[in-house]
Amino acid sequence: MATATQTQQGFVPVEALEKPWRFDLFRRWPWLKRLVRMRSFQYFLLLPNLFMFYLFLIAGLFGTPVGSSNIIIMYVWILWWFVLIAVMMPFGSRIWCTMCPLPFFGDWLQRGAVIKVRSGKSPGTNNKFFGLHKRWPKKLSNIWLQNFGFLLLATFSALLVTRPIVSVIVFGIMIVVATGLALIYRLRTFCNYVCPISGFLSLYAMTATLELRSTDKDECLKCTTKSCIRGSEDGWACPWNVYMGKLDRNNYCGLCFECVKSCPNDNISLFVRPFATSDIVIRGYDEVWKASIMLVLAFSYSVVLLGPYGQLKDWANISEVGNWGGFGLYAIGQALLALVVFPGLYYLSIRLAKWYAKIDNVSTKELFLRYAYMLVPMGLLAWIAFSVPLIMINGSYIISVTSDPMGWGMDLFGTAHFPWTPFWPEWVPFIQVPILLAGFYYGVRGIHKVGRQLFSDPVQLHRSLVPPTALLLGVTLVFMKLFIG
Amino acid sequence: MTAKEIAGVLGVVLVLVGLPLLLRAWQAGALLETPYPPGTRIITLTAVADGGIWTKEDVVGHNYWRRTPTRVNEIEVNQGDHIVLRLHSADVLHSFAIPVLRLGPVDVPAGHTVELEFDADRTGVLTFLCWQMCSPEHPKLRGHFLVKGSESEEEDDEW
Repeated sequence: MATATQTQQGFVPVEALEKPWRFDLFRRWPWLKRLVRMRSFQYFLLLPNLFMFYLFLIAGLFGTPVGSSNIIIMYVWILWWFVLIAVMMPFGSRIWCTMCPLPFFGDWLQRGAVIKVRSGKSPGTNNKFFGLHKRWPKKLSNIWLQNFGFLLLATFSALLVTRPIVSVIVFGIMIVVATGLALIYRLRTFCNYVCPISGFLSLYAMTATLELRSTDKDECLKCTTKSCIRGSEDGWACPWNVYMGKLDRNNYCGLCFECVKSCPNDNISLFVRPFATSDIVIRGYDEVWKASIMLVLAFSYSVVLLGPYGQLKDWANISEVGNWGGFGLYAIGQALLALVVFPGLYYLSIRLAKWYAKIDNVSTKELFLRYAYMLVPMGLLAWIAFSVPLIMINGSYIISVTSDPMGWGMDLFGTAHFPWTPFWPEWVPFIQVPILLAGFYYGVRGIHKVGRQLFSDPVQLHRSLVPPTALLLGVTLVFMKLFIG
Repeated sequence: MTAKEIAGVLGVVLVLVGLPLLLRAWQAGALLETPYPPGTRIITLTAVADGGIWTKEDVVGHNYWRRTPTRVNEIEVNQGDHIVLRLHSADVLHSFAIPVLRLGPVDVPAGHTVELEFDADRTGVLTFLCWQMCSPEHPKLRGHFLVKGSESEEEDDEW
């Protein structure tokens, strides 16, 4: 990892750069800390979600097969998706993981409890866990599985987001796998390394305006118990295997708040911070490819779902059209674009940057990893821009399925027959364009900050930014063309 | 187990057991604000465009994709029955009508359930059909109610 702690020529210490402000929520609102420290805090967030999720599964199995009238499709793929990508991710980091019902049964079996904490000894922890408690293989301790899993799901998204039974099967498999892994491996192996949703949450959590961090890192270094990662009689060992003394990015913190409960020094707090400013370090190729996959999928969905390209729609929509040849072309094309073409273009921009800025003190690999941060805010905001028309055009279906979640003829709130009504469709491009431009701005600003850590010479810094910025501008213009024609 | 833990487990059990029971109760009509009058006969018909089928079977998420439902051509009812038809579309916009009764046409939107009521007050044959060009197999979406009287009174009335 190239950080300011390295002493190669040209590196500027991070400490020399201004640190973004952060606001301590626990200090400002002590009641929030008291709430979070309650053992039942996560349970009370999770239980309503479990109820809803269970309703979705029942609706997928026994409700109408018509996606637009079934709550599993409308709530999960329109409402939840929009709230997750446009609200939870940018403002709440991985707050979804706090209440996600998918690993609930695995946690329950592994801990032997839904609320209380069990002290004792399991390898590496101060808690008593059930199951084999094995270590996850080191070779798989990255997000590559999540990358391929999400790409695979996305390839079949036309089925996933229209057929209730397909969503049930996918979620069913995820619950079974999460539960099985919890019994075999230690902690939240499924969330850390397998869950396809978790992969992009980890990446985009970097931009979030919320972070859970130790208040004083020196205090952590002096701490002998390391209760945050090992657990204590007050809190479970960190399910994400994170040591708060070293935590400097949101990526792999699932905001379960167990560390807040177990820290003996009261040294962990929840902070508000500026958007897309603090966590700007990409640490591995798996994260670069995740950024590429997400950006390409936002592009691909915009083309297929929102664009006027009928042939591509037919190819992607395998369940209705049944053109397997066309679907194969679509799937291979999408995978090539995400895994080869776009990363190749990005690599080219980095090679150009090295040549143009005459960089010899930073390796190509280093620059490739560090400047990839620009794809993070760009990707998140492109996804938000893509999701805006989904909620504005199809959001009215949510109103009708709220009253009749199964399509059985219920009318719980008197809105079962609410007609399909696009909400202010003429405003969609005017909302999308500023969002895209914000993505471009935060991407460029991010790598400018990264560049300042890497180069002390302003000319070299700015020259190094030109090719990647040009690529990002190209990406922005392509999305604009798709959104506004 | 502590009291909190027991309460927590009970909460989960309540969700896992209570929700299906609640939904089953609704399906059985136990939660209706205004129950149907005594003697009402409730008939559920689902329209499926693929094959042009009206069926009395549940066509739902788990079975729509794996099997063809059984077609209903004739439904026997008794003279004097008050019939509540619960009409559902499993795929596209259909429309239901019993022309001889001037009942309908009423839209049956995809994924929705609509209700129609009529009294079978004379014996005979009542043809019902889809009134909307829903699919290439639309013409097959028809059937009839056979309204039967008692043995002594039975007559093949002209509706």
